[in-house]
Amino acid sequence: MSAKEPLHELSIAEAGARLRAGTLTSTALTRHALDRIAALDPLLNAFLLVTRERALADADRADRELKAGVDKGPLHGIPHALKDIYETAGIRTTCHSKLMVDHVPQADGTAAAKLAAGGAVLLGKLATHEFAIGGPSFDLPFPPARNPWNPDHFPGGSSSGSAAAVASGMVRMAMGSDTGGSIRSPAAYCGIVGLKPTYGRVSRRGVFPLSYTLDHCGPLAWSVEDAALTMQVIAGHDPLDPASADVPVPDFSAELDRGVGGLKLAYPRSFFISVDGISPEVIAGVDRAVQDLARLGAKVEEITLPDFELFNACGRVILTAEAYAVHEENLNKRGADYGRLAYQRMMPGAILSAADLIQALRMRRELYAAIARVLETRDVIVTVNALAPALRFDAFPPDGTLRTPGHTIPFNLTGHPALAVPTGFAKNGLPIGFQIVGRPFEEPTVLRIGAAYESVAQWTTKRPQLELKMAG
Amino acid sequence: MSTEERRALEAEFDALTARIGAIVPADRKAGLINCCEELRRMTALVHGPRSPAVEPANVYSLKPTGARS
Repeated sequence: MSAKEPLHELSIAEAGARLRAGTLTSTALTRHALDRIAALDPLLNAFLLVTRERALADADRADRELKAGVDKGPLHGIPHALKDIYETAGIRTTCHSKLMVDHVPQADGTAAAKLAAGGAVLLGKLATHEFAIGGPSFDLPFPPARNPWNPDHFPGGSSSGSAAAVASGMVRMAMGSDTGGSIRSPAAYCGIVGLKPTYGRVSRRGVFPLSYTLDHCGPLAWSVEDAALTMQVIAGHDPLDPASADVPVPDFSAELDRGVGGLKLAYPRSFFISVDGISPEVIAGVDRAVQDLARLGAKVEEITLPDFELFNACGRVILTAEAYAVHEENLNKRGADYGRLAYQRMMPGAILSAADLIQALRMRRELYAAIARVLETRDVIVTVNALAPALRFDAFPPDGTLRTPGHTIPFNLTGHPALAVPTGFAKNGLPIGFQIVGRPFEEPTVLRIGAAYESVAQWTTKRPQLELKMAG
Repeated sequence: MSTEERRALEAEFDALTARIGAIVPADRKAGLINCCEELRRMTALVHGPRSPAVEPANVYSLKPTGARS
């Protein structure tokens, strides 16, 4: 390995190949990650808890197993971390909230258990918006995660620590959750890849719920390939999750090198071109990405979708109703124990009527049908993700809002898989991105298109210069 | 939302929270009512005219006991 190739720059596949060849140990990889966390996390606050002893024990076990020829799959020996809403046996799981600060689960949730069974090394638990909804808050037991490209800026959320940890090279992959964009928005703000799989593809059991019918679990990763390899470990039917789909698990990496020749891309430019707050740089980024994909052989067709405000209203009504139902007792009796933003965003659920929710659920079916119609004759929809680069922390108002500056919630409503991919950087040096939305259970197609774009765009060659910031 | 509508919303919120016994921290209430106002605007959008046959997304079908789901 050359000096130009530090361990954290190895992809999951590259590190895995060296682990299997015996030229690298999981212990070395894990110690390198722990050192990097110790050096960088004081600036980023990505980790709420570093599970050092557990990580070194996991790594030692992986080394012994791999040496003995036991191969548990693509994440065997690979360090990772979990958003702190993923329950972990014997390890504090706080949801970044005062209400859960002493909560130590007795069992792993399904995704955490699958990662452990696959030999992955758990480095720790990551910052989130409180209960995956609050926002960048300074009134919680832990500080908010910061953006590695500029720590004065928001990293997105709610999977804020997951994105900050991946972008800064502390981990190659971290698990997040996405109810209205909470994987894809931080992926966009931090310049990494994030996959919201199809609803039901990855079990939600043991992940603290925000909104039962909108919650999705998935990976944030440095590259499309790393996300695909993670999916191989975490996907699959879970009879203990009532939303889990009993469908075959494909080879998520099988099509990554196939290119995009002949694939049909729907481009709903009118869906986002004139929305409030959209940055011209974001529009230029997604336009460039679409042009690049066309040059690579994809057939692009501009299409129209129903007004984004309909998706947003429908999604927010359902999300707020379900979140209020999850938290009803605590919101009513212990409101002051929540951070300001989470409280203000969930408590409005109290004013919704049964008819409000049913009308939203009727609209949800109509909106699903609209997306499904588009995808009857096209392979994917390509559209914007976050509308602008990440705001500075001091640009946030003190009170909560139900509006978030992104076009992500439509695909939580419809359940379609959606992949966030970076499209480069704004003039202020902060990342921007887009998303690729596929047919239900066709994650290999969205990953294939993401990989093709990534290979020409080459954004994964650039890392935040955190060491310089720390020195400065 | 006009000032009058905002006052009415706040009164409605106060009545609802009193009925359910919710304790609303005073320093958070103004921001909370702002969020309620946003939600009320969104709620208006989902109440579009629809045929009675347009069913919600969460209707379900039962399978015989023992059948694979």
